[in-house]
Amino acid sequence: MRDFFDYLWQRRDHLFDLAVAHAKIVLTAIAIAIVISILVGVLVYRRPRIAAFVLAVQGASLTIPSLALFGLLIPIAGLGYRPVLIALVIYALLPITRNTVTGLRGVDPAVLESAEGMGMGRLRRLLRIELPLAWPVILTGIRVSTVMILGIAAIGAYVDGPGLGRDIFDGLARIGSPTAVDLVVGGTLGVIVLALLSDVFYFLLGRLTTSKGIR
Amino acid sequence: MTNPGGKDGGASRPEAMIELKDLTKRFPGQKQNAIDGLTLEIPTGEIVIFVGPSGSGKTTTLRMINRLIEPTSGRIILEGDDVTSVNPDKLRRRMGYVIQQVGLFPHLTIAENIATVPKLLRWKRDRINTRVEELLDMVGMEPATYAKRYPKELSGGQRQRVGVARAMAADPPVILMDEPFSAIDPITRGRLQNEFLQLQTQIRKTIVFVTHDIDEAIKMGDRIAILDDRSHIAQFDTPETILSAPANAFVEDFIGSGASLKRLNLTRVTDVPLVDWPTANVSADRESIRERLLRSDKGSVLLLDDEHRPVRWVNAGDLDRSDEPLLETGLSATPAIEQQATLFDSLNEMLNSLQGAAAVVDQEGAYKGVIDIETIGAAIRTMRGEARQRYRGEEEQQTGGLESREEPES
Repeated sequence: MRDFFDYLWQRRDHLFDLAVAHAKIVLTAIAIAIVISILVGVLVYRRPRIAAFVLAVQGASLTIPSLALFGLLIPIAGLGYRPVLIALVIYALLPITRNTVTGLRGVDPAVLESAEGMGMGRLRRLLRIELPLAWPVILTGIRVSTVMILGIAAIGAYVDGPGLGRDIFDGLARIGSPTAVDLVVGGTLGVIVLALLSDVFYFLLGRLTTSKGIR
Repeated sequence: MTNPGGKDGGASRPEAMIELKDLTKRFPGQKQNAIDGLTLEIPTGEIVIFVGPSGSGKTTTLRMINRLIEPTSGRIILEGDDVTSVNPDKLRRRMGYVIQQVGLFPHLTIAENIATVPKLLRWKRDRINTRVEELLDMVGMEPATYAKRYPKELSGGQRQRVGVARAMAADPPVILMDEPFSAIDPITRGRLQNEFLQLQTQIRKTIVFVTHDIDEAIKMGDRIAILDDRSHIAQFDTPETILSAPANAFVEDFIGSGASLKRLNLTRVTDVPLVDWPTANVSADRESIRERLLRSDKGSVLLLDDEHRPVRWVNAGDLDRSDEPLLETGLSATPAIEQQATLFDSLNEMLNSLQGAAAVVDQEGAYKGVIDIETIGAAIRTMRGEARQRYRGEEEQQTGGLESREEPES
């Protein structure tokens, strides 16, 4: 055990770099997924059939094993950063889209009727009333997506992606050698720490961006 | 057929704020029109009630006025302008809108809720702030306490007050109200109705008010449109005329029994003379109270507290029972009647209190006078006389009115 902490200490710069790269690709993927998902959610939430179809497709894509998806993307996107980013965006879509649809549908019809009756146009109602009221639900979707793709991103190292997965795969490749376990556990621990940090981050973000009136 | 209840339309009527001309609505996939050729003039500064059984299309009609539902055919005229095809959002900013569930924005403060339409109209911030405070005062909510609160921190009655304030924010000439008080408990509802009527005497808006409750219609309306199936107008007239001369069997049915009792809702305490009653301060000694009682022709003395609020009725027997403190003898004089209350409320209070009289107080709760059974009796006699006169006047105009009206019954 003592040896493991020595290992972590010695490799702290390296691990920190990997964690930063890991966080970067996950945050980029989440940012892209947020934009796509909220747009899609806004477009489909009033159209139940299209919404059901979109969510079914996104749900199906979530069942593709990540290793297979990375492999499938190689001919299109090659190796390295790009295929991993694309795959992570695909995985992150469903929870955010689904929660956007649920959140927007959950807005009290009386609130919308009074907004419309006071002369708020469609876009204004969406931006000032519906999205702010749906926001806590949407944010929960974003949080779920983030934690999920933090894990999946580690597997991206299989197609030469960035992040903590590199140490994990390095370790797995040299199973039996003295440093193998340290590498795997160190990388995994990094992912867990990132997941905990993201939870804290979203909790604070939720506090700051949700109106006191709906908490 | 706008006005089957009698009275000549035209020059004698106040100018119409809203005119509905042959409005028809057919929802897609339905064989019948939901609203069928409705023509109605809503006079400026009056409260016009749409009342009718469920399915009569009263809410649909209301929602066509601000075009939340677009009419299939017909015209809507607001202040002389045809608004049937103008930008609906701009139109709606000229009409307040209050619904039963209120629909306050839960993520915004009370002040922000009220400021909604002024913000849409791009008022300056100072003007908005001043207006919000003024409105909160107007609906009886302390701005310092409530402006920064959120809707979830308010009671149902308070929310509806804010709803009314929000609808009045940009001072629109018209306010549309869809069963605004229906979801509120009866006591608060009565109070809100009275406050709203009080407010209307100051603001004089044109108000279109939908309800399914004929009693509320009689209490609130300057005019009532009783709607039959598909918004056919069964009668459009003042509450007095509708109660004393229902146009047909449907209206009679809808008013239900007890029309004369309901007429008590048409007179307010302010409209009748109050009776002078012997009063005394609660801390006065028994002898002086007894003396006061002897000097008057009433059977009891009304005790008032130091702020002049009625507390108890005590009679000679109560004064004799010297073993009990004065405040525990006699009959309670609370709750007292507010001046905006109707004779119906007063009668109800008298029957509840067993006293045969009710103390009347002003807004601060201070004693103003007493209303008793004789006052109500006199008011009923006057109303009957007036109704008979109006009725006879009409009979002369349309001969045989009485017979034709009674036909459906025989």
